[in-house]
Amino acid sequence: MGEVILQMKLIDKSFPGVHALDHVDFSLKRGEVHALMGENGAGKSTLMKVLTGIYTKDSGSIIFEGKEVEFHNTHHAQEAGIVIVHQELNMIGDLTVAQNIFIGREFKKGFMIDDRKMIEESKKLFNELHIDIDPRARMSDLTVGKQQMCEIAKAISHKAKVIIFDEPSAALTEKEIEDLFAIIRDLRKQNLGIIYISHRMDEIKVITDRVTVMRDGSYVGTLITNDCTKEDIINMMVGRVIYEEPKTHSMVPKDAPVVLKVEHLNAGKMVQDVSFELRKGEILGFSGLMGAGRTETARALFGADPKQGGSIYINGEKVTINSPEDAVRHGIGYLSEDRKRFGIVVQKTITENSTLAALENYMAGLFINKSAEKDVTVRYIRELDTKTPGPEQLVVNLSGGNQQKVVIAKWLVRNCDILIFDEPTRGIDVGAKNEIYKLMNRLASEGKSIIMISSEMTEILRMSDRIIVMCEGRKTGEIAIEEATQEAIMDKATRDIK
Amino acid sequence: MTKKKMVISQEVIVAIVLVALYLIFRLISSDFGKYTTFLSMMDISYYYVLMAIGVAFPLITGGVDLSIGTGMICYALAGGYLIRAYHCPTGLAILISVLFGVLIGLANGVLISVMGLPPFLATLCTCMITRGLGSVVTGSFAVPWPTAKQENGWFHSIFKITLENKTKLPLGLIWIILLMLIMQFVLAHTRFGRYTIAIGSNKEAAILSGINVKLYHVLVYVVSGLFAGLAAIAYAAVIKTVQPGTGAGMELDAIGGAIVGGVSASGGYGTIYGTVIGAYVIIFLKQGLPYIGFNANMQQIITGFVLIGAVTIDIIKRKVIK
Amino acid sequence: MKSFKNNPIVKKLGFNRIILFCILLLMYGVFSILIPGFAGMARIMSIFNYVYFLGFLALGVTFVIATGGIDFSIGPVMFCCALMAGYSMNTYGAPVIVSILMSIAIGLCFGTFNGYLVAFVGVPPFIVSMATMNIAKGLGSVFTQTQSVSWPQGNDPSGKGWFRGLVKIGDIPTGLILFAVAVVILFFVMNNTKAGRYILCLGSNKEAVRLSGVNVRKWQMLAYVICGTMAGIAAIFFVSAYTTVQPGLGDTYNNEAIASCVMGGTSMAGGLASIGGTVIGVFVISLLQEGIMAMRMTKEVQMIITGLIVIVFVYADVSARRRKS
Repeated sequence: MGEVILQMKLIDKSFPGVHALDHVDFSLKRGEVHALMGENGAGKSTLMKVLTGIYTKDSGSIIFEGKEVEFHNTHHAQEAGIVIVHQELNMIGDLTVAQNIFIGREFKKGFMIDDRKMIEESKKLFNELHIDIDPRARMSDLTVGKQQMCEIAKAISHKAKVIIFDEPSAALTEKEIEDLFAIIRDLRKQNLGIIYISHRMDEIKVITDRVTVMRDGSYVGTLITNDCTKEDIINMMVGRVIYEEPKTHSMVPKDAPVVLKVEHLNAGKMVQDVSFELRKGEILGFSGLMGAGRTETARALFGADPKQGGSIYINGEKVTINSPEDAVRHGIGYLSEDRKRFGIVVQKTITENSTLAALENYMAGLFINKSAEKDVTVRYIRELDTKTPGPEQLVVNLSGGNQQKVVIAKWLVRNCDILIFDEPTRGIDVGAKNEIYKLMNRLASEGKSIIMISSEMTEILRMSDRIIVMCEGRKTGEIAIEEATQEAIMDKATRDIK
Repeated sequence: MTKKKMVISQEVIVAIVLVALYLIFRLISSDFGKYTTFLSMMDISYYYVLMAIGVAFPLITGGVDLSIGTGMICYALAGGYLIRAYHCPTGLAILISVLFGVLIGLANGVLISVMGLPPFLATLCTCMITRGLGSVVTGSFAVPWPTAKQENGWFHSIFKITLENKTKLPLGLIWIILLMLIMQFVLAHTRFGRYTIAIGSNKEAAILSGINVKLYHVLVYVVSGLFAGLAAIAYAAVIKTVQPGTGAGMELDAIGGAIVGGVSASGGYGTIYGTVIGAYVIIFLKQGLPYIGFNANMQQIITGFVLIGAVTIDIIKRKVIK
Repeated sequence: MKSFKNNPIVKKLGFNRIILFCILLLMYGVFSILIPGFAGMARIMSIFNYVYFLGFLALGVTFVIATGGIDFSIGPVMFCCALMAGYSMNTYGAPVIVSILMSIAIGLCFGTFNGYLVAFVGVPPFIVSMATMNIAKGLGSVFTQTQSVSWPQGNDPSGKGWFRGLVKIGDIPTGLILFAVAVVILFFVMNNTKAGRYILCLGSNKEAVRLSGVNVRKWQMLAYVICGTMAGIAAIFFVSAYTTVQPGLGDTYNNEAIASCVMGGTSMAGGLASIGGTVIGVFVISLLQEGIMAMRMTKEVQMIITGLIVIVFVYADVSARRRKS
């Protein structure tokens, strides 16, 4: 490990409703792999986006190679030698692999782009990295894992001094992850600084030298990986915030009826022959790695995406669900992982959002009964303890937690009995998280049945009565909460990955 | 790889359709096969094809340029007016016409790329503005360009020359083919072309790759304007007297040609040779229908349906691939 | 200023609409001073003639823009309706009432066609608009054999001119009353019915509305159907005021209708629409048209001005949204 190459001091950043980064410190040395850890919404990605110029910081300073810097866009950062391998893929589907890798800095022969040289250089690059991809293939024809490898190759080809990997392994198979680690070790030898963001504790132990932990937008501490245990890191990540008591046993009565039965659900590559049952008053956790097909299962069940086969029974009766309209009619509500895109109409009021799914119950003849609509909205604002000046507030002005409550209110107004929570606390502050947990438990005890998809192990273990684990589009396990451990879940979540 | 094969076949199919159309028209009407018919059809085709080549670029970025039709008339009016009223040399007038096109293209580009207006809306406005400007400049009078026989009418021979034995040759076709090859090369092998595709395919990723997307996005509309300017010259050479207030609707034939020729209406894909073939399909319909006993206005209706049909096929194709 | 903005009455009416209304009055004042003989009932009636048909067009397209879409085929569609219905009356002897119903029905068909393509097939709205514009122009020309069509005069001996009473009976501007009725109905449709609520919400976030179990395609299509039907009605008011329609024209009115909407505060991005604002916008454009004509300038000058107006107002909307996010 060499001298410090990058130092971030007291970085502060706020978004409307969220204090995303609260005076965060971070430092990186040459020739080290430095893990950045924290739960979802802890601020890791935001910190990296500030570093690479995607976001502008509100205050604080970044010192790179001894000089204070301020990047205005990723291109600036790239030129200085800081590149990021994004969590979301940033590839141009209609161009080839080689064209993507060299985009923005094409080799030229006169006026012409020298495609042949780009292909050759890509081949060289792939050979060095032991990746087997045809540089002439169209990007959109590759698998997600291969696209990810291209992204990594592109980052490396920039002759970077600092490379940031933002959850690179989420979409990779085990073999690909091994290749990736070999690449990273190689880069470390070349004295580069590497920031590695991941949720997977095992990877952190294998590949990193130091670990910095963040929580709720704040810096918690930095440890040397070899000197600490998994538990140390987890304790730092979770902190002393008191959540709802973890469940040690199922809260569902033995004789609770099955409200939803799914058999042999098939939808594309990501949902293959998934079957499960959901009982009244149960919180059924869906665990798995990113890209395991949990959201896809939920969307197919809800009729949001087309499915190729499978039967769905509600209260023992076979039902046809081909659209969200059908699903809602049968009392299913879906709370998307991406609230802003799929959950709420941000530019509209709380009232308009709350009654969106049940407008026909608030009609007086042809017209909307606005006073009834307001009454029910106010009732749920009170019941869910939504913090807002009034029902006429635009949803865009609410914090993440309160937006989530508006979505919950929407389904409660519709009187849905089966609720699918997809990453219910993503992007929500810790205090509000706990409230959402309490609310979910309350709903379950009142007889609602809940499917909860979550990538946070702690959340799964805390909330579920029963856990279903998925991997690569298949159900790989079903664990009662009494027997559930992190290891047991992880084992099943990676079972199919070869 | 299968996707690529399918897309290539799109252009091949359009080429087959073009040949089939020609044969059908010839079978039904003997007049259609005459050399003079061919000549007049070529005359009409130049400005449509030029517009289509230009507008292919905004279409590939996922945008559109609705101002090319009225724009073309406006530039032709301006150039002709300079010759008539100020005895401006023809060469200079041509240059000014083309520059006028570039300028309006630049305005479109700035409105869309820098100011963030939706492309169809920004260009719908410039469509209206150029239509108005053309009339205002000329005081709403029709403007005749010099005829071929007049001394300053040499520009006609850019597009059509008469040999000593009185045979006329459609010289313009050579320019069209040349420009098609150049612009296809630009699209496939230069940064400008590559970034045009990148903007249409994934603008966000293009920005993150450090491309000056704003600049290239402006340039796309400048190219479209430039070709509308060139089309103005072709128009003046063929139509001779330019009427203010016309031109609306011509952009549709050009855009329709590009889309029929395989340019994706949602952006990210397209070829210039496909565009040119597609444009000729529209022109054959336009010129050929009267020969087989249809009202010429039927062509408008047919073009409308062909446009929707081509886009629908594109949508279905994308769904199937997914 | 701020306190004025936050006044509950001002908030209810909309600050921007109040400003636009003041601009309207100011424009009228300026025209009256600049142009001798501009003030007076005759001019006002003439302005009203323009208001009626443009008003129906603009009201209709407000619904489409509220969904985040666009329809710039409405001008040619209006002309196509007037041509086909008028030609049927003149050539095939259709009764006036049949022609009127026919005009509305043709508009409805165009609206349904557009709406189906946009909502169910997924063709981008601007492509549909382009195609329909072509089809409407072509259909109008083919049907009438490229001849212009004149609707009967008010004093037509056949008694067919009664429909002109829709616009004016003696000195009573009946058109204004009908227009006001339409405005009130559409205001309630936009703000107080399921259709309006869903149209506005899906304009803001279609996917979220779909995932709330709403049949978004149906409601999105409905917006285009309303728009087409309004174009059919506008055709009646157009011929009642201006008698003659020519094939191949009509596209100048697209921009004027869109300009009225965006001036009135309807956002091109969808989700925000104001029927009241559109009405004021229609009056501004109609006044502008009358003023320009009175100053002996051509229609073309007005095209340039409306083009610029749309650019300015849409830019204002775009940059306001950018600031917020």
